[in-house]
Amino acid sequence: MGELSDAEGDLYHTVARLAQRTTFVELLAEANAGLSIRHNGHLTTFQRPPRVRGAVFRAWTGSGWTEVSVSGLDPASLRFAEGAIERMLAHRPARENPPGESSTVRLEKVTPTSRPVRDMGEEEMRTLARDVYSWTSGIPDIHETEVQISWRQDERLYLNSAAARCSQSVYRVRGQVIPVAMENGRAESDRFVQGGVGGGEILDGLTAENARKAADSARALLHAKAPPYGRLTVLLAPSVTGYFAHESFGHGAEADQFVRDRSYLKPHLGKQVGPEILTIVDNGAYTGAWSEIYCDDEGHPAQRTVLVDHGRFTGALHDRVTAAMFGTTPTGNTRRSDVFSRSFVRMTNTYVEPGESSFEELVKEARDGVLLESGVGGIEDPQGGQVQVKARMGHLIENGQVTDLVSSMALSGKVLEFLSSIRGVSGKKDFALDTGSCGKGRTDFIPNSAGGPYLLSSAVVGQA
Amino acid sequence: MSAPKTSDAAAFRVADNLAGKEPWEVFGERIRRYEIHLNRDEVEMTRGPVALEGYDIRLFRPRDGILGIGSQSSNDFSAEGVRAALQDAERSAAYASFPTSRLNLASGRGATGGIVEVLDRGLWEYPMDSLDGFVSALRTAFEGRKDFEVSFGSVRATLVETSICNSAGLRTGYGHTTVELEMGVKATGGPEGPAPGEYWLNESDRRLRPRELGARVDDWCRYAEDVRRGRPPPTGELPVVLPSPVLAGIFPVVFGGRFTGSARLRGVGIQPGMKLAADLVTIHDDGRVPWAPMSSPVDDEGVPQRRRTLLDHGSVSEILYDTLHAGAFDTHSSGSGFRGLSGGFRTWFRFLQPPSVSPTTITLAPGEGGTDQEIVEAARDGIWIQEIGWSSPDPVSGAFGGEIRLGYRIRDGELAEPVRGGTVGGIALAPEGLPSILTRLQAVGSRNTFSEPVSAPPVLVGSLTIGGEH
Repeated sequence: MGELSDAEGDLYHTVARLAQRTTFVELLAEANAGLSIRHNGHLTTFQRPPRVRGAVFRAWTGSGWTEVSVSGLDPASLRFAEGAIERMLAHRPARENPPGESSTVRLEKVTPTSRPVRDMGEEEMRTLARDVYSWTSGIPDIHETEVQISWRQDERLYLNSAAARCSQSVYRVRGQVIPVAMENGRAESDRFVQGGVGGGEILDGLTAENARKAADSARALLHAKAPPYGRLTVLLAPSVTGYFAHESFGHGAEADQFVRDRSYLKPHLGKQVGPEILTIVDNGAYTGAWSEIYCDDEGHPAQRTVLVDHGRFTGALHDRVTAAMFGTTPTGNTRRSDVFSRSFVRMTNTYVEPGESSFEELVKEARDGVLLESGVGGIEDPQGGQVQVKARMGHLIENGQVTDLVSSMALSGKVLEFLSSIRGVSGKKDFALDTGSCGKGRTDFIPNSAGGPYLLSSAVVGQA
Repeated sequence: MSAPKTSDAAAFRVADNLAGKEPWEVFGERIRRYEIHLNRDEVEMTRGPVALEGYDIRLFRPRDGILGIGSQSSNDFSAEGVRAALQDAERSAAYASFPTSRLNLASGRGATGGIVEVLDRGLWEYPMDSLDGFVSALRTAFEGRKDFEVSFGSVRATLVETSICNSAGLRTGYGHTTVELEMGVKATGGPEGPAPGEYWLNESDRRLRPRELGARVDDWCRYAEDVRRGRPPPTGELPVVLPSPVLAGIFPVVFGGRFTGSARLRGVGIQPGMKLAADLVTIHDDGRVPWAPMSSPVDDEGVPQRRRTLLDHGSVSEILYDTLHAGAFDTHSSGSGFRGLSGGFRTWFRFLQPPSVSPTTITLAPGEGGTDQEIVEAARDGIWIQEIGWSSPDPVSGAFGGEIRLGYRIRDGELAEPVRGGTVGGIALAPEGLPSILTRLQAVGSRNTFSEPVSAPPVLVGSLTIGGEH
């Protein structure tokens, strides 16, 4: 398959030789293709993913893992990696198997689509970007608009000494429009983003109507009021709900945090932590979502894992080691940002399942408070159980009505207190997933998605 | 080591294949990376060498008064691999456009930029032994601290030979080291009182400094205990002191967003002479701070590094340019073309991304506000914000804000109980005539501390919005 097929024989034999020196060895090889364009009123630039093929070998030393990465799949690079691993194993010969379940999965999958993007080149992209750009030109106060369109193929091959072979090629496609409004030197922006795993059909969502909505929103922000602050009733729009789910029950439920004894959620496993109307899921097998994968980087298939089931904290995300420690099975959440970086337990597509209420009912129920819209990001504290989420804008809710636009806000609070204050979750028609990325610390960024419907609770908010 | 050997430096090997492709530029890196990951006080994983060698070719194709620019990075040094990268770059250049016909690439073999301390020789020679020694020193520093532990951690060392050459005759390079220390320090505090609290470190340096660990661990443990005991602040508008760790989360993005040729090109930039801050604010962008992760002898286009004055007593002095944006505005590069930037920080491999205009180490000149204690006295009744969870500055609007990870209440001019939770936010940089934290600074302290990528004393802001519990 693809860019890695010519090296597969050498990779297989390297794993086989290393397997004679330890109880378990695995490798992940990677190659990328793609193209992205950035177009505004002044410039047009293109970027392709690097023509870099590489591999990481991971071997069990008997007491821990040792890893070596190389950029290049030629025989010399593989010999270098093999020699380095051999030297590490010479000091620490393994007699026992590593903890957990070694994958024996054999899988080969390429993103299915009727409109492949593989041949989408510079000319086609430039034409599309110019069209999208034209949709917001001429709108008063819109000073400039940036259009970004990209497709990327992530090809990964996983082999191990337990005979697993997982070959996957995931195509991610995204388009975004970022109009910037200016008045008397003050600048504000909003954006419309459409992305997912699939083909050219994903870009059909880049419409003039959506681009103009983002432009109108940027213009309106020039005159937005300052947001309210203090403890308030908050209604989270889908993207903000998603960041809340990701930061609170995503990071808190990554079981490597359990192992380090730094998850506030660990003592709550199996207990009721929120209302019946709340269900939170991580789902790497969500077809078409931005963080869809077919198997993780330990060769375990992606799956749907229910983290909170009708208010009860039921599950965590596991790699092979944490699964063994907690007497369960891996959940397909072991991920590397690339073959030069280590793996961690990571989220995929994390979201709040739709509930029963309508948006209008939630606004009426809120009575007075603030609607947080256009999520920007967040940060979690797995130890302290605290969460921060930022919204680019919002609206006041007064007497059960959505009223004035307010500028960007941060929400802060203790997750368990926030959950206990949840008073409603809106239905399927409001559900949306975004396209983002998530890091561990400053590095190790991977594609991630989060979302949900509208969610009503209370929290501390303030200008941000 | 000073410069890579001419014969085998990554960029120079590729350049031998580029005759007839002028104008061009090649940026190359040979990287070795070593890592030790900790799970509490146990070594969870050792990694390395992570060996990565590659290059990026940029081609510049003038046509109709503009430049078509194409680039492609690769780790394939064979003639066929270089040819494939060239084809990709040519294809992109044919459809790309940048609004200048002026291209003034850095030139000359002598463009070394002089000596800047960016390489830890011990680490370069003995990387894994050096990391082992550092981890041992870290464990020793935690011995006997029964209420504190490392909950997670990693120390990662990156050793790089950077090489840059272009069709104007530039051939330069240098070796450099970077150490990233990421750690959670947990205060358990025993069965009574608040639940455990954790202080997070996320630091970069050019060298390993195990001898300083003892004193630093004292600070980290104190912060962790204060996170544990901290309570949300009151709601309201209060005087706020912001020290360098907080400014480090704000300045790189807002200055990178407005003080650059790319911002000027988009029409969202600022103009020299504009009054954007109080008189007591003078800010430099200094690419030659010894041992700073953003320092280097030359930028990633080979232009020598120097100190640039961004704000001089509150007025805009200089704008940052790379080679391309300098061409668009008929001026010279300020040595501000850098690759691999992400949120104000550099990624450990840079050849995969083309250059963009960026500040390096942002330095706020010390003022007359005195010691930290004197700044606190001047605040009288307010909050010292030690750490914001994520200040999420917006490069367009200049707004910033987030959750208070750790702060201290200031009462009657003294630091009082720790603060944890709630929000703080405002406008960091506003257009001329509008208020921002830079216009509302009431005092600038007299002693700088370094929090990558910012060197600054604590500053007192007249008032900021605090979202609290009561």
